[in-house]
Amino acid sequence: MLTLKTWIVQALFIFFTTESVGELLEPCGHIKPESPVVQLGSNFTAVCVLKEKCMDYFHVNANYIFWKTNHVTVPKEQYTIINRTASSVTFTDISLLNIQLTCNIRTFGQIDQNVYGIRIISGLPPEKPKNLSCIVNEGKKMMCQWDPGRETYLETNFTLKSEWATEKFADCKTKRDIPTSCTVDYSPVYFVNIEVWVEAENALGKVTSDHINFDPVDKVKPNPPHNLSVSNSEELSSILKLTWINSSIQSFIRLKYNIQYRTRDASIWSQIPPEDTASSRTSFTVQDLKPFTEYVFRIRCMKEDGKGFWSDWSEEASGITYEDRPSKAPSFWYKIEPSHTHGYRSVQLIWKTLPPFEANGKILDYEVTLIRWKSRLQNYTVNDTKWTVNLTNDRYIATLTARNLVGKSDAAVLTIPAYNFQATRPVTDLKAFPKDNMLWVEWTAPNESVNKYILEWCVLSDKSPCIPDWQQEDGTVHRTFLRGNLAESKCYLITVTPVYTDGPGSPESIKAYLKQAPPSKGPTVRTKKVGKNEAVLEWDQLPVDVQNGFIRNYTIFYRTIIGNETAVNVDSSHTEYTLSSLTSDTLYMVRMAAYTDEGGKDGPEFTFTTPKFAQGEIEAIVVPVCLAFLLTTLLGVLFCFNKRDLIKKHIWPNVPDPSKSHIAQWSPHTPPRHNFNSKDQIYSDGNFTDVSVVEIEAANDKKPFPEDLKSLDLFKKEKISTEGHSSGIGGSSCMSSSRPSISSSDENESAQNTSGTVQYSTVVHSGYRHQVPSVQVFSRSESTQPLLDSEERPEDLQLVDNTDSSAGNLPRQQYFKQNCSQRETSPDISHFERSKQVSSVNEEDFVRLKQQISDISQSCGSGQMKMFQEISVADAFGLHTEGQVERFETVGTEAAVDEGMSKSYLPQTVRRGGYMPQ
Amino acid sequence: MLACLCAVLWHLPAVPALNRTGDPGPGPSIQKTYDLTRYLEHQLRSLAGTYLNYLGPPFNEPDFNPPRLGAETLPRATVNLDVWRGLNDKLRLTQNYEAYSHLLCYLRGLDRQAATAELRRSLAHFCTSLQGLLGSIAGVMAALGYPLPQPLPGTEPTRAPGPAHSDFLQKMDDFWLLKELQTWLWRSAKDFNRLKKKTQPPPAAVTLHLEAHGF
Repeated sequence: MLTLKTWIVQALFIFFTTESVGELLEPCGHIKPESPVVQLGSNFTAVCVLKEKCMDYFHVNANYIFWKTNHVTVPKEQYTIINRTASSVTFTDISLLNIQLTCNIRTFGQIDQNVYGIRIISGLPPEKPKNLSCIVNEGKKMMCQWDPGRETYLETNFTLKSEWATEKFADCKTKRDIPTSCTVDYSPVYFVNIEVWVEAENALGKVTSDHINFDPVDKVKPNPPHNLSVSNSEELSSILKLTWINSSIQSFIRLKYNIQYRTRDASIWSQIPPEDTASSRTSFTVQDLKPFTEYVFRIRCMKEDGKGFWSDWSEEASGITYEDRPSKAPSFWYKIEPSHTHGYRSVQLIWKTLPPFEANGKILDYEVTLIRWKSRLQNYTVNDTKWTVNLTNDRYIATLTARNLVGKSDAAVLTIPAYNFQATRPVTDLKAFPKDNMLWVEWTAPNESVNKYILEWCVLSDKSPCIPDWQQEDGTVHRTFLRGNLAESKCYLITVTPVYTDGPGSPESIKAYLKQAPPSKGPTVRTKKVGKNEAVLEWDQLPVDVQNGFIRNYTIFYRTIIGNETAVNVDSSHTEYTLSSLTSDTLYMVRMAAYTDEGGKDGPEFTFTTPKFAQGEIEAIVVPVCLAFLLTTLLGVLFCFNKRDLIKKHIWPNVPDPSKSHIAQWSPHTPPRHNFNSKDQIYSDGNFTDVSVVEIEAANDKKPFPEDLKSLDLFKKEKISTEGHSSGIGGSSCMSSSRPSISSSDENESAQNTSGTVQYSTVVHSGYRHQVPSVQVFSRSESTQPLLDSEERPEDLQLVDNTDSSAGNLPRQQYFKQNCSQRETSPDISHFERSKQVSSVNEEDFVRLKQQISDISQSCGSGQMKMFQEISVADAFGLHTEGQVERFETVGTEAAVDEGMSKSYLPQTVRRGGYMPQ
Repeated sequence: MLACLCAVLWHLPAVPALNRTGDPGPGPSIQKTYDLTRYLEHQLRSLAGTYLNYLGPPFNEPDFNPPRLGAETLPRATVNLDVWRGLNDKLRLTQNYEAYSHLLCYLRGLDRQAATAELRRSLAHFCTSLQGLLGSIAGVMAALGYPLPQPLPGTEPTRAPGPAHSDFLQKMDDFWLLKELQTWLWRSAKDFNRLKKKTQPPPAAVTLHLEAHGF
């Protein structure tokens, strides 16, 4: 803010000042020197002189002057007041290249005013140019160049000056962008010495280089020879003749040359000895070249005395030397193929095309001769490099020559041994190793002299068959490399066969890699067996196609989910490994890496879990446990068996056999028989299910006749057969409890005698043996009433008396007879039998039956036949159970009991309260 | 102007020798002068071809061989063989020097007439070279200790075009100038070869090739 104010004040002041002075921008003083150029590091003094007018106006003098460089005030110590109007400032050791220096005054004690400003340029004087040299390109003007020396930071002009003793030539001024060279304006005059030098000049000085004096012809760079051509000679296949045209400079100076050549496919040039080409010429014959080979030539020239510069190389020219006869016999080998013809072999003779440096021309064809043992020679001409022929099993000698335009090669001789020839004498110590990106094979020669060696090799692969390539080596060679297109990471099977005069020796083979690589795939590991603390891992050998090298070893990595990985190295010959010290019941992850010399590759991860128990551990626990259980059970059973009576007593209490009961003996009356009318009333209220009464009428009579006994037996049998089906509406328990007393009454007499303690029911038997009870009633203890009723029904007894002719049919007869007032006395056994077959009836059927019965009883006498039919229909409808029949009979019994209820109350009480031993 | 220039050339011998490369005797200078004559001969061959084409027929015809008419002031290079053999080194060098001085003056006259820039450039370069030859001869003379010939006042070669000179005659003069130049260069080559043999007792392998090609 303050600065701004100052500036405004200053501006206004200047405005008023200039107006008052009447001249626009007339400075208040000036600085001397006006535009100085100062050498870096030197001292500099500037003086500011104020004008009188200004001094008066502003009331200032030289004391008020202060200096600024690049807007920074210079310390007062550097000022010197020269007089009233002039003040100087001195700078020592100037280091800035460009300084803005201003002279200012402070007016009225506070207002700074700029009086004058200059710009100080600093730099360095030029250095003496060095290494001045000139070149004259033939047909062009002379160009000179030099080393300008250090940077001056100032505009520096370089001038190339040249003169003869008698004449000065025009100066050559450099262009600003290339201050280190200059091309003169005139064509140089050869053979007249010229003096040349360079002047460098800037604001701080001028300096001249050393003068050089030379003949321009000694600085000439000729144009290269042109129209270079190459021609061969039919007489000599080892020479080529070059011809060319020299540049025009050759008409007044002598030249020397460099001639270089190379074969077409080579990259390095060979040079003809310079002394052979040290004089002016226009042709040259190059010797010692290879036949039938294309050579490329180039040539350059310079002044013969070596002064000046070599010309550029000429354009290249090429030529082919003439053909020569093949210098070497082709590599020659054979394969025997199985032949179908007996006594003959199919032999394929194979040979290699000669390389160009041995073919020495274009091979036209091959000549094969075959000599059978002690036979005459056969000649064949073949164009291919293989030839198949059927030979006998004899020994043959084959020769091969290659032919070109000029002549034939030496003959390659091969002995094809007889069919039964046994090859021996192999090479020893066969080795194969890669070196310098080639696969070398080395072996120790057999003791015998070897004509040549045949090396065969092929890629071992599971995917493709072994297609061998081959090469031939001289008999003196015992180390060579495979001259084929070999691939890296492939397994090569190399076979070396020595060839003797009498035939081939036995071959030796070795595997090798040109360059190994890590396997493409890792081995897949799996478990063969997993134990509680160990696991047997197994894996397959990697296929040769993915090995990419010799598998040197495997590493097995295994870990648990949380644990660290453990690595185990395994020799490459193994395919199985046992991991031990594993934790039981743990998930393990295992993977495997195969390593060649160049690195390894992991296979897929395999996971397995160790079992909680070792094999047989479970069996070891389970079997004893089972045995123990069995033993215990057996002991238990034995114990039970021993103590069976005791147990039986506890589990199955002795139920008295009702049939052996003697109650009936002392019972005063036989129980009364049925009363249907009363019975209807009883059952109509539906309480039938509450009471079930089974009446077993073994014998109603007091005097058991033999017939009665029979019928009783019969009845017993019927009872037994029906007991199994008894179910009943509320009566089942009674029936079941009564059953053993029926079935086992004979054998269980004593038991029945001892176990008379049945609290829940009252058992009423009709009698035992000859003690015939009048009536047998089972009744639950809760409901005693019916029992009492039935026991005191006298009508039933009477009725029994009346109808005792057939004990078995008695109830039915009673039933009908009672209802129908004995109007018809048909025993109706069929009905009875049918009733026996009735086994079950549902409630509705039964209710319906009851109604029918009541109907019958109401219309007694009229619907008797009808009744029969209806019953049989009811049977047909499903009155199947005997129990129902029994109930049906019971209905009658109950009805009878109702009527005679009060008559036999006392005996009932006696029976109920005690047990009568029999 | 031309006279002035020629006068300067005439006084040229007053200056020290051109070749200031130490003082290994006159041998190298003589050799260099000889080479220079060969170089000039090479230059003249292309220059004369161009210039005669510029003059047009019949001057550019190969078998054009007119009698020497006019051009009397041109120094003659042809001389009787016995006379030439009888010349001493000093006289031989002096004659060369005087001849080239005159020829150079006439040549500069050609320069003025030349129409095309290319021709002018060739002429200028040839003149510079010829001037170098003069300096070279002066250097040899100085090395051998012979004084340079003093130019005689009034005998300065002039080439003032007179009314008598028709255009054809003018072209004839130019033709003869070039022809005389070539003859002088041949003669100089012989002179300096002879001088070289004298100063370098074993003549080494230097051979003289005098190519007597016509235009």
